[in-house]
Amino acid sequence: MTQIDIALKVLDHQILDRDGRRCGNVDDLEIEGGPGETARVTAILVGPGVWPQRAGWIGRIASFVGGGRRVRVPWGEVREVESHVILRKSAEELGLGRGDDRLRPWIEKIPGAHR
Amino acid sequence: MSKIFGVALGILAAIGGFVDIGDLVFNISAGATFGYQLMWVLPIGVIGIIVYSEMCGRVAAVSKKAVFDTVRERVGFSAGLGALIASEVVNLMTLAAELGGVAISLQLLCGLPYRWLLVLAVLGFAIVIWVMSFEWIERVFGYGGLCLLVFAVAAMKLSPDWGKLGNGFVPHVAQNNSLLYLYFVVGLLGAAMTPYEVYFYSSGGVEEEWTPKDIGLNRANAIIGYGLGGFFSVALMTTGAALFLGHGISPEHLGTIALGAQVPLGTIGLLLALVGILFAVGGASIDTVFSGAYNLAQFCGWEWGRYRTNANAPRFTLTWIVLLVLGMGIVMTGVDAVVLTEYAVIFSVVALPLTYIPILLVANDEQYMGRHRNGRLANVLGGVYLVVIMVVALSAIPLMILTNVGQN
Repeated sequence: MTQIDIALKVLDHQILDRDGRRCGNVDDLEIEGGPGETARVTAILVGPGVWPQRAGWIGRIASFVGGGRRVRVPWGEVREVESHVILRKSAEELGLGRGDDRLRPWIEKIPGAHR
Repeated sequence: MSKIFGVALGILAAIGGFVDIGDLVFNISAGATFGYQLMWVLPIGVIGIIVYSEMCGRVAAVSKKAVFDTVRERVGFSAGLGALIASEVVNLMTLAAELGGVAISLQLLCGLPYRWLLVLAVLGFAIVIWVMSFEWIERVFGYGGLCLLVFAVAAMKLSPDWGKLGNGFVPHVAQNNSLLYLYFVVGLLGAAMTPYEVYFYSSGGVEEEWTPKDIGLNRANAIIGYGLGGFFSVALMTTGAALFLGHGISPEHLGTIALGAQVPLGTIGLLLALVGILFAVGGASIDTVFSGAYNLAQFCGWEWGRYRTNANAPRFTLTWIVLLVLGMGIVMTGVDAVVLTEYAVIFSVVALPLTYIPILLVANDEQYMGRHRNGRLANVLGGVYLVVIMVVALSAIPLMILTNVGQN
């Protein structure tokens, strides 16, 4: 499979950490290599901070609403690309899924939160 | 045995997902305004929702992806974001319409003030979603919605003109008032193929952790469940035609719809109709609230689903709570539920292509779907319906304006 194929298969796909937790979508890719050289995907970029470069003004608004955070996950941390993109480590170790982790203690204050 | 049970439950869920306030309003009104002349639209709508639900259920079973995962992958980020915003707006309108319907049926049942009952209902739904498993939510509202069968009995008792009813299934255009007629065609198709039905159906497949083994179950659920939903629609339109046509009554209130069962069957008919409406519309409220949360979570890549616990999908949980509150807020302004329903159905028709095109693309993707990708039948039907949906989507708003939202 060429690099471009991988890029198309990965961009905008759901990311799962090693435990199968959903922890973001592939919002953009970091690609190295100038004109004439072989292009190489070096990292996946995740989070609303990436959205302005994807969708102009509407992306900027969505990014602002979403908090503007952006996480870089080196390509070496990707274990498998199936219908989902599966990582080698847990979301926490890679700084992903932070929004869910911050909100969880508040939800847990309500009785029956683990039903 | 458990397989039969599984099919039965799925069917219930499909009926619950199909018959909502949009179907109630448009079917009874269509019957009251044009008699049996619009019957032919119902099978078209039902087959459309069967084709696309089967497709997205199969995608969920094979690839574990729900509709908005595929939307983003297939149409890209910016078009996907547009689709997300459109779907959230339409979903919220639909939710508000359903909540309004719940409050009205509660009010007709017990007579307490409308706004109090609305708050109670929303609180009730929040507790139900918080404590009940996905499967139980589907069961309770599915069984309760079966009370709507009373409209089938009512339709029989009203001794409809069977010849005219049969002729209604032959597609034709009305001689007079053809704009309003076309408006109803669009509305009936929109009510049958409301986008939240496929959002909910596909995410439900993931919630129930379907695997490729469940593809047969998925097909049975879609065909029998939505088929029965279509049968309910026929009964509602027949009731509208036999009871209201020629009397100049247009059912502008949910109570008028329940009257359709009261006139032929008395108080017990009225009660069953109201309870059926309450559960069908209540179930649809929960479906729409979930759909809104599913779509946002899937677009952003958050953890989602009732099969995770509330605390294990925190942003998903927060989203459905916020949506319930927003929906309640809209109804609190005093906007009429039936009017809101008409707008919600017509605008959801406009959003339909953005939902259905990615489903068709992914269901054909060999890399994901392997040997489970679309066969020729699914593709021919899928393609035909895509054309139908495009035509309907383009004509929805002009027809709404030209007929003054079906008022003339």
